[in-house]
Amino acid sequence: MNKYRYSNPYLIGALLGVVLLASFYTMGRGLGASSPIARITAVSLDTVASDHTRGNAYLKRYFRSDRAVLNDWLVFLVLGAALGGLFSAAMANRIKGEIGRGPSITAVPRLLLAFGGGAFSGFAARLARGCTSGQALTGASELALGAWIFMLCIFAGAYATAYFFRKEWL
Amino acid sequence: MGPLYKFGFFGHFSSLMVALVLGFWFGFLLERAGFGNPKKLTNMFYFKDFAVLKVMFTTVVVAMLGLLYFSLFGWIDFSKVYILPTFLWPHIVGGLLLGIGFIMGGYCPTTSIVATVSGKLDGLVFIFGMMFGVFAFAEIFTAITGYYNSGAMGVVRLPQILHLPSGVIAFLVCLIAIGAFWAGEKAEKKFQDFEPEGAPTKRFKVTGAIILVILGLVLMIANPDKAMTKDQEKVAPVEKSVIEAPKATETPAAVEKVPEVIIGDDEGC
Repeated sequence: MNKYRYSNPYLIGALLGVVLLASFYTMGRGLGASSPIARITAVSLDTVASDHTRGNAYLKRYFRSDRAVLNDWLVFLVLGAALGGLFSAAMANRIKGEIGRGPSITAVPRLLLAFGGGAFSGFAARLARGCTSGQALTGASELALGAWIFMLCIFAGAYATAYFFRKEWL
Repeated sequence: MGPLYKFGFFGHFSSLMVALVLGFWFGFLLERAGFGNPKKLTNMFYFKDFAVLKVMFTTVVVAMLGLLYFSLFGWIDFSKVYILPTFLWPHIVGGLLLGIGFIMGGYCPTTSIVATVSGKLDGLVFIFGMMFGVFAFAEIFTAITGYYNSGAMGVVRLPQILHLPSGVIAFLVCLIAIGAFWAGEKAEKKFQDFEPEGAPTKRFKVTGAIILVILGLVLMIANPDKAMTKDQEKVAPVEKSVIEAPKATETPAAVEKVPEVIIGDDEGC
């Protein structure tokens, strides 16, 4: 297989399944990436407005433990994911400073939409207590009801609005 | 017997090293699949490339089969695996919003990290967007706390809702996955205007489908639910003594809080 090309998605999926299973077997929990972002946000806000952050009804949960906010399992998982992604991209000569976009959108609107999409995702992942990894992949493989509903709703939300963003991608 | 951490085989520091290793492969594989590229990810919603569906569904099926087989063989105590409780309404609205964020921003949380490390500026901007989203959520949290906790059903699994054994559900999930892959590939053929990278051979696909059907069928007959409940009875007294031992080495307050706070209700992802 040419290493500069993307791999067989079924094979990748199967190997990711093994990684997820290894997480269940060793830790008794699945993967996740959105709560580390929330923790980093909490730490950032803490440096600017400590009382406000620690007093916030939602964010205060991250300061409850005796451990530092970033001394957390998922934070290290995401750190590992960044390293793994970097390693793979470097191996395949895919590290390139660029803006991922379709041919009919310019840089600035694309970046604004990336920010907007991120804001939606950050909000949604807190509301749903998880994201595509922590909720959908992890929960669905445990046959959890909420995870299956959540996963179907992700696809429903994206398919329902894809038409309005076609200029961004096609 | 797994989960090793919950039976006290290793402590917090080692668990962080486990996280680094698992995370490394997580990120590595996502990048291999091309998921650091928003065009590759969003192509699915224009019926051009179903790699997202293929990767996600295969991951779910393999991890699901693994969990159930591990329970069947007594290698893992399923009751010790954290399952996120269902909150019906926030899950529905959160899912829809995440889907909109996906097509608008081009990523989901994990893939934006992979994109960022491979040099995508929009990936980094997406992460900043997520931080803003968290901030906005936290700011209005007191106003939506009621909604955040609405539709609480506790930990509910499909077997309970559908009144079917886990093995039967697993077999059905295998069949649905195969059907979804087949439909996805059909749609790709119709709408794809480029040569897909890493497309598997027909032999690979047929072999994979047959393996899934066989594994599902065996589970349906073997019924891991029986093993799960038996395990719980058998293990219950043993597990207490095992767990007590490592607890003593840490401060009681930290240990007491670990399951509640570190793997709390919001820690699914």
